[in-house]
Amino acid sequence: MTGMNANGFSTTRRGALTGLAATAAVVALPKRASAQDTTLRWWSPQSAPAQVAAYKAQIAAFEAANPGVKVLFETTSDEGYAPQLAAAFASGEVPDIVTHLPSFAVQTYYANGLIEPFDSVIEAVGADDYYPGANDVYRAADGHFCGTGIGNTAANMIWMRRDLMADSGIDAIPRTWDELRAAVSAMQKGGVYGLPLPYGRNSMTSLIFIGFIHQAGGQIFTPDLQIDLDNEGTRNALEFYREMRDYSPPGATNYSWGESLTAFVSGATATGIYAGRVLVNVNTQNPPIADHVTCDTYPTISAEVATWTFNDFPSVFIPAQSQNKETAKAFAASLFNPEGYIQQLHAAPGHVLPVLRSINENPLYQDNPIIQKYPNEVELMANAAAGGFNLGYETTEHASNAKAGEIIASNVISDMVGRVILNGDNVDEALSAASATIEEIMAS
Amino acid sequence: MTTVPQTHLERRYAALGLLLIAPTVLVFCVVIVYPLISAVYLSLFSIFTPTLQGEWVGLSNYQALLSTGEFWTSLGNNVIWTVGTLVLQIVFGVAMALVLHENLWFRALARSLILFPYFVSTVVAVLVWKWLFNDLYGILNHLMIVAGLIEFPLDHLGSMPNAMISVIIVGAWKYFPFVVIAVLARLQTIPEQLYEAARIDGAGPFARFWDITLPQLREVLVVIVLLRAIWDFKEFDLIFLLTGGGPIIGTQTLPLLVYKEAFALNRMGMAAAYAVVMMALMLAFMLIYIRQTRRRES
Repeated sequence: MTGMNANGFSTTRRGALTGLAATAAVVALPKRASAQDTTLRWWSPQSAPAQVAAYKAQIAAFEAANPGVKVLFETTSDEGYAPQLAAAFASGEVPDIVTHLPSFAVQTYYANGLIEPFDSVIEAVGADDYYPGANDVYRAADGHFCGTGIGNTAANMIWMRRDLMADSGIDAIPRTWDELRAAVSAMQKGGVYGLPLPYGRNSMTSLIFIGFIHQAGGQIFTPDLQIDLDNEGTRNALEFYREMRDYSPPGATNYSWGESLTAFVSGATATGIYAGRVLVNVNTQNPPIADHVTCDTYPTISAEVATWTFNDFPSVFIPAQSQNKETAKAFAASLFNPEGYIQQLHAAPGHVLPVLRSINENPLYQDNPIIQKYPNEVELMANAAAGGFNLGYETTEHASNAKAGEIIASNVISDMVGRVILNGDNVDEALSAASATIEEIMAS
Repeated sequence: MTTVPQTHLERRYAALGLLLIAPTVLVFCVVIVYPLISAVYLSLFSIFTPTLQGEWVGLSNYQALLSTGEFWTSLGNNVIWTVGTLVLQIVFGVAMALVLHENLWFRALARSLILFPYFVSTVVAVLVWKWLFNDLYGILNHLMIVAGLIEFPLDHLGSMPNAMISVIIVGAWKYFPFVVIAVLARLQTIPEQLYEAARIDGAGPFARFWDITLPQLREVLVVIVLLRAIWDFKEFDLIFLLTGGGPIIGTQTLPLLVYKEAFALNRMGMAAAYAVVMMALMLAFMLIYIRQTRRRES
């Protein structure tokens, strides 16, 4: 068969097939050539401009030391990583390395065979250099480590402004809920709200409220992971959280991390609840209040109940489906090289705290204006984070909970908070419904 | 009844016909039939999304979803959202099209600008609206306080029914230009003689709109309502970005529920069951709507 077009150019079927084959060969050529190169995809939800600049410096150093390897940084988000990774795992189009996700998410993925054991990377970094117990939260049921910490974060510190405290006659940072109630009541005036607690349907509300449950002496699970949500601590926490709604901005019903942080940094609220990023943000975005800012661990229901700091234990891990696991492991270990690691930590000083003792003692790390300006706050956060917990690791007595990531992603805790506080639903019914949902997730 | 045997040439033509239609059938099967069958097939399994491993559960997913209050609440929200935003889109769209059909000196510019909300990315539109709605810094609350309408900022996105009203308004703003363009095109083809005859008969502006314009627009409005209802019913990004389905599940529609099941709870089978039910609901709506429209026309 012969075809003729308007220009008189004719093609035969054999000619067309030959052409097609030639085109296919040409298309395949660059692939073959580039097969010698390796491209690593790196995902992280921590992507403030200064942090991305630090990552790029670490990438450049690794690429220079490993010709033929390219590292591509891609941003995810605290609220979006779970669905993005679920889709990535399902499609097989996974990143080669993921950082800054909470430890409980990593445990969930590892329990389902989606994560590469990380022992060799920890050895390469230097297991003895970590703070004692720093990697306990990453120890999986099979004895391997499923990831490691790239930093520590004390995510639920109470932030105060000394100037507003003085104006309201408050001489100390509240240590109990009664003191907190009195403080926010006194400081809520002149268009400034008391606190920016989140009431939205999101992970922040869930994670912060889990802290409140523990600060009331309660727990979500027993140490052997039986559901224990319906306890006096949870009920007291719900009651106190409901009271605090009167001291939060109207839009707190939709707050997540960003909004809560901004509310305190902008001066809209007298107190804050966040990690160390507050320090750099007040200095760059609202300098007039920078000299008045300080922090402590969040108050508890009474002096008898120990404080409970939420540390998401920002992680590094490597998906099992990665095609470049060995290169990814080498890159993961390189992230802890002092020069690059310190630059990364300095990108959010006080927010992501070092997990290696040698880094904390390194004069280069201490040589930072924010760390030098707020030595007590940074030290306090470092200690609080080191003794911190999360839903995957509720206390030192609790077994590791591989379903914690799914429980948070389901919003079951934030929905419970919303039902009781925003809807005014019956507490018994809300607790019962939340317990049933958690039970369903645990059984799945 | 006797059949006439086909000649060799007829058989060859028939084969050629099949051959020519084959690519279309193939594409149809790949992009329509296969995903549809896959969704129905997946809905019969309990599947963990990240691994896509699971087990056969038959109709249990459907049984479970129909017995949960969350499904019915989300369906109710879906209907409220779809009807609310669609009505506003039609009302504003037709009204704006009538204005732009007049001989205004800025008509060309206005016709271009009116498309802006439709063309702007949903993410950008939502970011802008979230700032407008912001309780502490939003211009909307600021203006309302200055005007003395409210004493304290309103919580536009975090409480009900404000959140649903806000979502409906933003949806109407985003999609009404589609109605404007479609109606405007039809308005330009209505014969002017009809209006002249009506004027001679003493018909006022309202009577002319009601007796001439609206009947002439009926066909195009039928198509607009059908298309926009389908698109609005399965709207995801705008609602997800504005409220995430909250407060609690106050603005959670079925597409958000599908997303939550598939990627937050990692239950792909259940998500597929929700998607299949959604499709069945839309199909039922379309059939009823088309049948009613045809009956009215005949």
